[in-house]
Amino acid sequence: MKKLTALILALVMVLSLAACGGSGNDASGTPGTPSTSGSSNPDSGASSGGKADDIVLWTLAADLKQFAERYEEQTGNHVEVVVFDSADFSTKIMQTLGGKSKDVDVFVGEPQMLPNFFEAGFSADLSALDNEVKTRLVDYTYEAGCDEDGVLRAISYQACPGSVIYRLDLAEEVFGTSDPEAIGELFSSFDAIRDTADKLQAKGYTIFGDTGALRWFSNSSNPWVKDGQLIVDQDRLDYFDCAVDLYQKNQVAFAQEWSAPWYASMAGPLPQLTAADVDEGTVWGMDKDDLLAQGQAGGAGITQVFSYVMPSWGALIVRDNAEGNKGNFGVCSGVCGFFGGGTFLTINEYSEHKEAARQFIEFCTLNDDTAQWWLEASNGDVVSNKAILEANSDYENESFGNQHTYAFYLEEMEKIDYGMITGYDDTIKDAFGNAIISVQKGQQTKEAAMQEFYTTVTTLLPEITIPADAPFYSPN
Amino acid sequence: MSAEKVKTRSVKSLLYLFLILLSVLCFTPFWLMIVNATRSGNEIMTSFSLLPGASLAQNWAIVNENMHLGRGFLNSLFLALCNTALVSYFSALTAYGLAYYKFPGSKVIFTALLVFMMVPSQLSMLGFYDLVNKMGMIDTYWPLILPSVASPATVFFLRQYILSVMPRAILEAPRIDGASEFAIFHRIVLPIMAPGIATMAIGAFIGSWNNYLIPMLLINSPSKRPLPVMVAELSAVRDITTNLGATYLVVAVSAVPIMIAFCFFSKYIISGISAGSVKE
Repeated sequence: MKKLTALILALVMVLSLAACGGSGNDASGTPGTPSTSGSSNPDSGASSGGKADDIVLWTLAADLKQFAERYEEQTGNHVEVVVFDSADFSTKIMQTLGGKSKDVDVFVGEPQMLPNFFEAGFSADLSALDNEVKTRLVDYTYEAGCDEDGVLRAISYQACPGSVIYRLDLAEEVFGTSDPEAIGELFSSFDAIRDTADKLQAKGYTIFGDTGALRWFSNSSNPWVKDGQLIVDQDRLDYFDCAVDLYQKNQVAFAQEWSAPWYASMAGPLPQLTAADVDEGTVWGMDKDDLLAQGQAGGAGITQVFSYVMPSWGALIVRDNAEGNKGNFGVCSGVCGFFGGGTFLTINEYSEHKEAARQFIEFCTLNDDTAQWWLEASNGDVVSNKAILEANSDYENESFGNQHTYAFYLEEMEKIDYGMITGYDDTIKDAFGNAIISVQKGQQTKEAAMQEFYTTVTTLLPEITIPADAPFYSPN
Repeated sequence: MSAEKVKTRSVKSLLYLFLILLSVLCFTPFWLMIVNATRSGNEIMTSFSLLPGASLAQNWAIVNENMHLGRGFLNSLFLALCNTALVSYFSALTAYGLAYYKFPGSKVIFTALLVFMMVPSQLSMLGFYDLVNKMGMIDTYWPLILPSVASPATVFFLRQYILSVMPRAILEAPRIDGASEFAIFHRIVLPIMAPGIATMAIGAFIGSWNNYLIPMLLINSPSKRPLPVMVAELSAVRDITTNLGATYLVVAVSAVPIMIAFCFFSKYIISGISAGSVKE
């Protein structure tokens, strides 16, 4: 009995020693090694971490692995890239940096995550680069990377301006032109969109896959919240009515985003679906090849989708799924400029390699060579570097009818007004979208749906007041 | 053929039909997982099929390019085996102590166990992270293994189990013969509890094998990640569709040890139960 107790005690001691030893090693592994100016030593870069200029990067996709490889080739400094699932990324960052961890030097964030990171004090000050970023990168990426006080804390190597991606052949057939300027006019307001939808329907085509496409235009004239007050202006009501009308008149294909019919619609004609297909979820069980075969067979009830509203990465999805329609798309502006997503780099406030981290971020975002390389390597990503976009403005994109897409996006980004963005946008847009859906399905009148929308907003965001003269608002 | 026979036959065939239907229902998701492992991401997104596709080699290449499947496998196996061993041994020890020793506060401890059983582990996660951080154990396996020493639900189950299969009288013989308390536990109690322990071990093994959230939060080095965290990385590395087939492939591969564990333990349970210990 005594022997056994002694044995177990000894075991516990060994275990705890091992535990301390393990973490001790980890802690001393990086900063403890003799770092006699390890800044320019290209030969030993590939070997495992330990050099002062080696950094750890946490990210959401593999893109930055390619940046890291190139960086190592050029400078000899190793960047260990760790990828996390986007669903848990915020939690991971909040937990790890909440514990003041030094295990990560650079981490990424999407625009909607950044304010949380800034507020929690996780992102180091990058204002040393402020002037360069402000002048050389696309405006909205600069503004998105600044915290509430205007201090720069995150920088993006890419930009995701929005656009309407439309079919060139259908444009010629229905509107007699496929010129981006002229087609842009057809999407310049919600009224114009309705007319366009009518004309397309007369020829048997549908304007969008589903009415969700309109959501990108919900910031067309005012931010959702200004001075603590919710703003529901005429444009938002137009957006509401437009979405309901397109739906009820069957002017969309009911090919829900990310479902098989949606992908199929990029490649060719497909059967016109119904609202019930979306409601009951049958769109998710459909087969792309079946749909296209039915579309090829022709007959009544076959339609084609004219356009998609998406950020620049969406244009790449359309391109990659276009099959026979490749090269048969163009990009033009919509009701307003917008952006969606984008990867921003930021330095861990608690990092012990801030200088090396800053050098890497500079390499990714402010280096012209890198920007040009990425623009080619990524096969169509829009970079944030204005000079490089300008340098490529003559590039004729054969996937988009030889349009000068970079010139177009550069122009389009001028229209993005970052002052339209508030931290409440996601919540409010969701609530507004739900109100629209309930009216589309005929579950509620517009009045009731708007009233419910106001109730939802006040419940979820009690700090926001609703002006007494807001449309369909009856305070009680 | 008598009417009686016809009746039993029809009842039997109905039963068989029902059971066949049930097994098909249970097996279909597994089959779909295996089929999807052989199809490309785009095919999975845009169509539905019960027949294998032709992209197995391509998926395998994506897996090898983006992750160290073997490494993740070993990491997960190591964690799962350690967890299973600790859960089994220490829970049995605690359960035996609570069931057969009378000491002040035993009731209180048992009640506390019941209370902790009701608290979902997600609730204590924030505090757990801070604790692990203060102890300097972030990015090590200790916080993933050591807590399994205390698993209230298993202790509770085993306590009820041992009370029902082992009468107190059985302990008197070895005591009279002069065996130490630990010898009694190891030589007499543990074998009698084996079937119950095996049942709990399956749960512990599967739980540890599938554990995602806690390793995701606590492990920072890619080389120390267990399989589920690696799978999440694999599906995140490219955009939605590209790696879907490869992800299915890894999930299919990672389900194999669970099936083996289940086969092994369930055989043990059945033989254990049919052998029995004491018949009264």
